[in-house]
Amino acid sequence: MSQNGGGGSAFGRIVTGVLGPLVFPVIAIVLSFIIGAVIILATGNNPIAAYASLVEGAVGDPLALGRTLLYTTPLIFTGLAVAVAFRAGLFNIGGEGQIFMGAIAAAWLGVSLGSLGPIAIPLVLAGSLVAGFLWGAIPGVLKAYFGAHEVITTIMLNYVGIYFAYYLANNPLRQKGPIPGTETIDFATRIPTIGAALGRANYGFFLAILAAVVVYLLLWRTRRGFELRAVGLSPGAANYAGMRLGLNTVLALAIGGSLAGLGGGVEILGVYGNMDVPWVSNLGFNGIGVALLGRNHPVGVVLGALLFGALTSGAQEMQFATEVPLELTEVLLAVILLLVTATKLVELIVGKRARALAGARLEEGLGS
Amino acid sequence: MEELLGTTGSILQSTIRNATPLIFAALGGLFSEKSGVVNIGLEGLMLIAAFAGVVGSFFTGSALVGLLTALGAGLLFALIHALMCITFEADQIISGTAINLLAIGGTGFLMVTIFGAGGTSPRVTGFGSVAIPLLSDIPVIGAALFDQSLIVYLMYIMVPVVYFTVFRTTFGLRLRATGEAPEAVDTAGVNVQRMRYYGVALSGLLAACGGVYLSMGLLTAFTENMTGGRGFIALAALIFGRWNPIGAAGAALLFGFALAITYRVSGQTIPIEFVQMFPYVLTIIALAFFGGRAIAPAAIGKPYRKE
Amino acid sequence: MSENAAVDAPVVLEMRGVTKRFGSVTANDDISLILHRGEILGLLGENGAGKSTLMKILYGLYKPDEGEIFVDGERVEIHDPKDAVTRGIGMVHQHFTVIPPLTVAENIVLGAEPRGGTLGVSLNMEEAIRATEELSERYGLKVDPRARVADLSVGVRQRVEILKALYRDVRILILDEPTAVLTPQETEDLFAVLEELVADGLSIIFITHKLGELIGVGDEITIIRDGKVIGTVNAARTNERELARMMVGRDVLLRVEKVSHSYGDVRLFAENLTVHSGTDEVAVDGVSLEVRGGEILGIAGVDGNGQTELAEALAGTRPVEGGRVYLDGEDVTRLGADALQERGLAYVPEDRATKGLVQDFALYENNALKTYGERPFSRLGVIFPGIMRRRAAESLRAYDVRPPDPDAKAASLSGGNQQKAVLARELSGDPGVLIASQPTRGVDVGAIEFIHSQILEQRSEGKAILLISLELEEVRSLSDRIIVLYAGEIVGEVGPDATDEDLGLLMAGHTTGEKSA
Repeated sequence: MSQNGGGGSAFGRIVTGVLGPLVFPVIAIVLSFIIGAVIILATGNNPIAAYASLVEGAVGDPLALGRTLLYTTPLIFTGLAVAVAFRAGLFNIGGEGQIFMGAIAAAWLGVSLGSLGPIAIPLVLAGSLVAGFLWGAIPGVLKAYFGAHEVITTIMLNYVGIYFAYYLANNPLRQKGPIPGTETIDFATRIPTIGAALGRANYGFFLAILAAVVVYLLLWRTRRGFELRAVGLSPGAANYAGMRLGLNTVLALAIGGSLAGLGGGVEILGVYGNMDVPWVSNLGFNGIGVALLGRNHPVGVVLGALLFGALTSGAQEMQFATEVPLELTEVLLAVILLLVTATKLVELIVGKRARALAGARLEEGLGS
Repeated sequence: MEELLGTTGSILQSTIRNATPLIFAALGGLFSEKSGVVNIGLEGLMLIAAFAGVVGSFFTGSALVGLLTALGAGLLFALIHALMCITFEADQIISGTAINLLAIGGTGFLMVTIFGAGGTSPRVTGFGSVAIPLLSDIPVIGAALFDQSLIVYLMYIMVPVVYFTVFRTTFGLRLRATGEAPEAVDTAGVNVQRMRYYGVALSGLLAACGGVYLSMGLLTAFTENMTGGRGFIALAALIFGRWNPIGAAGAALLFGFALAITYRVSGQTIPIEFVQMFPYVLTIIALAFFGGRAIAPAAIGKPYRKE
Repeated sequence: MSENAAVDAPVVLEMRGVTKRFGSVTANDDISLILHRGEILGLLGENGAGKSTLMKILYGLYKPDEGEIFVDGERVEIHDPKDAVTRGIGMVHQHFTVIPPLTVAENIVLGAEPRGGTLGVSLNMEEAIRATEELSERYGLKVDPRARVADLSVGVRQRVEILKALYRDVRILILDEPTAVLTPQETEDLFAVLEELVADGLSIIFITHKLGELIGVGDEITIIRDGKVIGTVNAARTNERELARMMVGRDVLLRVEKVSHSYGDVRLFAENLTVHSGTDEVAVDGVSLEVRGGEILGIAGVDGNGQTELAEALAGTRPVEGGRVYLDGEDVTRLGADALQERGLAYVPEDRATKGLVQDFALYENNALKTYGERPFSRLGVIFPGIMRRRAAESLRAYDVRPPDPDAKAASLSGGNQQKAVLARELSGDPGVLIASQPTRGVDVGAIEFIHSQILEQRSEGKAILLISLELEEVRSLSDRIIVLYAGEIVGEVGPDATDEDLGLLMAGHTTGEKSA
């Protein structure tokens, strides 16, 4: 059955040497593009033309690049939100709700602190961060002290969070006029754009990069991070070493929530200026794909978010140029997520030893 | 008195209607999880089937063809989940999440490709209410239970059938054993992977029935993201019902009842958003109080790799 | 006993030149053995000698690289357990494969169920129960077919396991370390059952790493070392010393040299301790004990009688439900593992794979697993991996951990080296009290000697040591005093010179008083 695992092949060795951590992501991306090409063919379009326009629309000119950065920013935040929890052995599927809580907090504070001008920006973002932290803490507490699995509770809290944000946007925070949504925040209290050449891309992108750096330092250079990683890799050993599992569970999900919440705040202050009803969707779920594509490492998350952001950004150009519906991008992202943990599939393609070198299986990094 | 009975009857009817898709999906989840494969993709399987059913019915004008199309689509996407989790040993939670996103993206894509625009599909032939003679004349409960869509009657049959299959057949014994201790099943000469494929495939077929009921029973058209989290509530009903078909159906009825009540009070007394979040809050509370003590199949979530 | 009558009986199984390699390791090297009808063949060897691999080949779980297998003289290829069962080969695994939530009868018929109903898909439960009862009566393996396996004791679960094989009409039964989990009395019961089975014409392969176990029970004993057959001896005419030499390859010191000295003050003291298990049942019930400086207190008992919970409660990783714990006179009952460790308590957990080490952490991170928050590793919440690495490099060398590379993942080390890494961490802080739970389980001989010598060195330095082990020989050779746990209670205390029989009776729950009665 397993002659030599196929890992002895030269191809396998080269792949693992330098590019080890990229094996899973690259295979997932390549396969999803192949599947995408088949779908495009089925709709009677030319995949090469479609993909060319996709790339063109993502990085073809400064405006396109700016749009890519714009779409990338929130995905970095939600990707980090998933990655931090993953490192502590937890699934955070609650990014949707957390980003909404951060966004509605910003929509409220942005208006009510608007008279302060630019000074309000850090205060508003701090509010988003706190809102996300508290919202993320709920599934943490439910898991740590009531034994309710975080996968289900974070999914449920997505709906609760979204409806709660919509309630606030439709009632106490509702703007005047017929369009449902909150009042618009004054331009003085918005995150400024980087430059006219890059369109609407704003400094929120650099905040996201900063958040990635902070997450890196947190995980690998602090006591808390040491505990989070130990709990994630081996709850038994962490407990044995005197670490508090419950506290770390709550903190991991709360820190994740605060990152997604901050992302929501950056979206409101940087892009939208208010929360419409309905507001954006799937940023939290796509954060899962971003995190896994980035192997739950902050650098990887940034790269994963850039890819997802670019695909989203290029989709409009593709629809315009080739009549392939822009929803194709959503399909591509879903297929990437579907394939990115497929251990045996990767073994099939690069061989067993190469897979082993490419990194541990996802399950090994996840305690129960 | 008359009015009270009338209200009771209509709440009961509404309870059944809200619970039907949940029960189908929960029964589907049961097969998958009993075999050891977590299926949080139920939501997506329902959505895809809801869409496929409408497409089938739209092109043939036959509700039955719609149902068969939906079953085929549910089965196909369940098999994708099975392929990923069982053969390729992908993470089951991640694969399920991907199935959900694939369903949203895929139905959105196909809405544009097939019907030319997103949003809501054209109306199609569905499974309208069929009153069962005599039974539907019983006061209060008659109309509520026996003047329903054919798919509801199918649900009545499926609950005992699933119970019998899981607890009284050799297939059921092997399925349960596979979710508890795959290595034991393997050494007993039963093919673990095959049992898991069966479990996941059945979950696709049953979730598809739930999806079809949404788009061709309750409504007669597909609306983007029309499942609205029902797949997840079904999963909670399964946990709440302790992985027992009767228990899961009971829990689903409870959730259905909660929905029926809240739709009634909606509008003036409570803001609509709170009504909409109610089932999710209820699920969280239920999980917090009972979820921790529920015993899941022991080998759930773990791929089985032969030595 | 069987007077070798079996050896003249027809050969039912022959393995010829079986070789199995895993990567660069040869687990089985040209192994041949012969089994006759009605024979009990012992397969003796150390952990990792290749016994289990060989049997997994026979049972179709592994595919041999070379060699042939003959059943009843016919050459066969065994691809999977189903094949093995068809050829009449059954196996009772070391880690039972019975399924706790299912009933005894369901477990027994799984995979070969009697069917019923009009469609033929129903499970015929009455028939399953009847078949179970019939087998159970025929071989004296008492079980209740309707009981849930989860509610049964380990000994009874093993009976279910054997019945499972018998239900499939096997004629060759492989038992993998069947006595590891049994009391001496349960072991005797098992041997009686085996006699019944061979009298009925079955043949048995009995895998063990316990030297004396098969003397007088089996017909022949084949010794395996480093994947090779060293020899086959007649079970009636051999002795422990001969077997030990063949198994280990040299004369082993069955006794550790231990100097006697005077003890210091009581350092670890527990009073009326009650602890619950993970399923919230009482696991430790009113245990009181004290350990003095320079003393090793051994705790003997059959696995699952509260040892794990006792050790964890004393070390602060499991809550104490009742009673008190004192460390050097201070009440530490409610303090967590962290505080205990700061007060000089070292703890080598029984399960190094999931508790002692974070497998995917580098060794330097594992070395700082308890002290990551203290200086010099940390200041103001920031940690310094560089300092952790340097410290780890020193202690890995001092404790002979191979490789002594601080950046190596714990998972990449052998069992023995992992355990040394745990010791390195636990002992480098110069603790006052050491709790060592099964410190040599699954560890090679060289590492066992190293670990024993480290424990004795701690004793001579005046440390108080609590040693928990399932290996009677280990407890006896190291301890100054031995207490025996049964069902969470102390049933007796004996000296290191206690006999097997004394200890065995205590381990089976007979208190010293009952013994004379």
